[in-house]
Amino acid sequence: MNQAQLERFVSYLQTANWLVFGPKELPKDKDELEEISPFIAAHLPAGKAKTGFTLIGRITRPAELALDNRLPFYSFKRFFVPDKEVLFEYQDTALLDKKTRHKVALLGMSILDLTAVNLYDQVFEKDAYYQTRRRQLLLVGHSAVPEIANNIFERQYEEDILEHLPFDIFLAEEKRGKFKVFSGSLKGQRVLEHFGYSDYEHVQFSGPVKEGKIDARLDRLRNRLKKHHNPQIWEELAKKCIECGKCTLVCPTCFCFRIDDKPSLGEKSGQRKRCWDSCFYREFSEVGGGHKFLDTTAERIHFWYFHKFARIPDEFDFMGCVGCHRCANVCPVGIDIVKVLKDIEEK
Amino acid sequence: MHNFYHPEPAKITFISQQTANIKLFRFEFEQKIPGWQFSFKPGQFIELSVAGLGEAPFAPCNAPGTPYIELCVRQVGKLTDKLHQMKVGDKVSLRGPYGNGWPLAKYDFKAHQNLLIVVGGLGFVPLRTLILGKNNYLGKDTKVQIFYGAKTPDEMLFRHEYDGWKKQNIDLALTIDKEAPHWKGEVGLVTTLFDKKELIPNSVVFLCGPPVMYQATLEKLKQHGLADENIYLSLERRMHCGLGVCQHCGVGSFYTCKDGPVFSYAQLKDIPGAI
Repeated sequence: MNQAQLERFVSYLQTANWLVFGPKELPKDKDELEEISPFIAAHLPAGKAKTGFTLIGRITRPAELALDNRLPFYSFKRFFVPDKEVLFEYQDTALLDKKTRHKVALLGMSILDLTAVNLYDQVFEKDAYYQTRRRQLLLVGHSAVPEIANNIFERQYEEDILEHLPFDIFLAEEKRGKFKVFSGSLKGQRVLEHFGYSDYEHVQFSGPVKEGKIDARLDRLRNRLKKHHNPQIWEELAKKCIECGKCTLVCPTCFCFRIDDKPSLGEKSGQRKRCWDSCFYREFSEVGGGHKFLDTTAERIHFWYFHKFARIPDEFDFMGCVGCHRCANVCPVGIDIVKVLKDIEEK
Repeated sequence: MHNFYHPEPAKITFISQQTANIKLFRFEFEQKIPGWQFSFKPGQFIELSVAGLGEAPFAPCNAPGTPYIELCVRQVGKLTDKLHQMKVGDKVSLRGPYGNGWPLAKYDFKAHQNLLIVVGGLGFVPLRTLILGKNNYLGKDTKVQIFYGAKTPDEMLFRHEYDGWKKQNIDLALTIDKEAPHWKGEVGLVTTLFDKKELIPNSVVFLCGPPVMYQATLEKLKQHGLADENIYLSLERRMHCGLGVCQHCGVGSFYTCKDGPVFSYAQLKDIPGAI
């Protein structure tokens, strides 16, 4: 597939009623950026000011799609696990399910983004809301690995990793503007065929983990966290961390949530809503009567790392971190996950 | 696809004041599905919600096989405030049951396996079903010894049922935190009962109570030579989903809602902050 065909493909998706999202170039000018998002303007890593930044947004013109090795500021998380969602509306004890869904095509998902989808698929396996949403998504991957200051797990694109990633269509860029196309699902094949492109190869998804192969780094980190608990690491971090929760916001694998009722004006009516939570917030572990099981900053930071590098590995045999470094990009006090992981392994 | 977050409407059919701020509520499901009856294992929990106030987990405590659910609820927050204002006929929503419950299938209680229950305060609640269904779950001849500690005599839950229990091979030892008029029993924390009472031999232990009770009780149990694998604790944690997803109840690599709330001490002893 060449660049012109790709642009036609994007137009085709739009005419076929897909809402198309993908990485878009953000203005380089700080004032212009400030208008779009003061948060992003405030968190641009120094080096990125020159190369420019991308943000995942609605693609209305095919030329807007920026397929390259820049890491979009936010991940694709919200398309899978929205920041807020209505579970149902209630009128006293009667329930009303809301069902309006659009087909959404996500273009230019990097192998890091797709790795995060492996986690969502496992965690929300039995979640009716997730499954409904997931059925309406078209995942189009792209082989360029984002350039990250510290490529934590040194992830590279190789053809043999494709069978372990959940995608519908994958565009492997062989040279600039020239793509080798793979399908990863029947849905992907159907879309490609209907568009009129048949020069693709199919890759059968064989699960998120290479069979019988537990990642060595995963094993080491998990082992250190579970068998060599070192409170000093967490107490040191707690002196810096201000528990703003920004890392949990941008982290593609932070999916924890709370469920609350939002009453409306009518008597006994309203919505039950689910929204993102953060384990850095004090009330995260608070129970009736006020006791907090994670009572200190140190305990809460430890909880975050333990979840990603011990609990998720125990549950699913893969790491709860894709190595995108977004948490370090937004941390206002300069906590860098690369250094913390090193401390876990060595201290 | 089955939606776990959809609760079923239930009506309050009976309320009894247990202590100054604890009430026992009985609920019956509104829409009766023919042939279906809510059932749970002792030690499991359900999520209760009241329109506008959200959900919270509670352990049912009714006798097994009854066509209703009983919850014993202390007034501690917005949701429980509202519940305490409610009257017979008012409606709530319930979903569940969730969690593993007490490990009853793991032991052959009918063949000389005895049971020691150590409970404090509201921790008695998730064990009442087991006691009321003793013949069913454990066996007629199984010896059950209960150590129960409460703040005051008036705080003793289910106190009108004790006489009936004692007739069923249940040895009930009570203690209150501080001296009180007309109280003739033991005084002190629940651990003082270990010094006053002979433990029945060949017991597994079920613990349920506030976090402060656990460390002290575990120490006593270890002094008496009980194996870590035979000591079980029910953990309390904040819960939102009940399905092991939302992360609020994570303890080490476990979820209190899905892998618990009952854990053996062997599972928890190496997890910092678990107990």
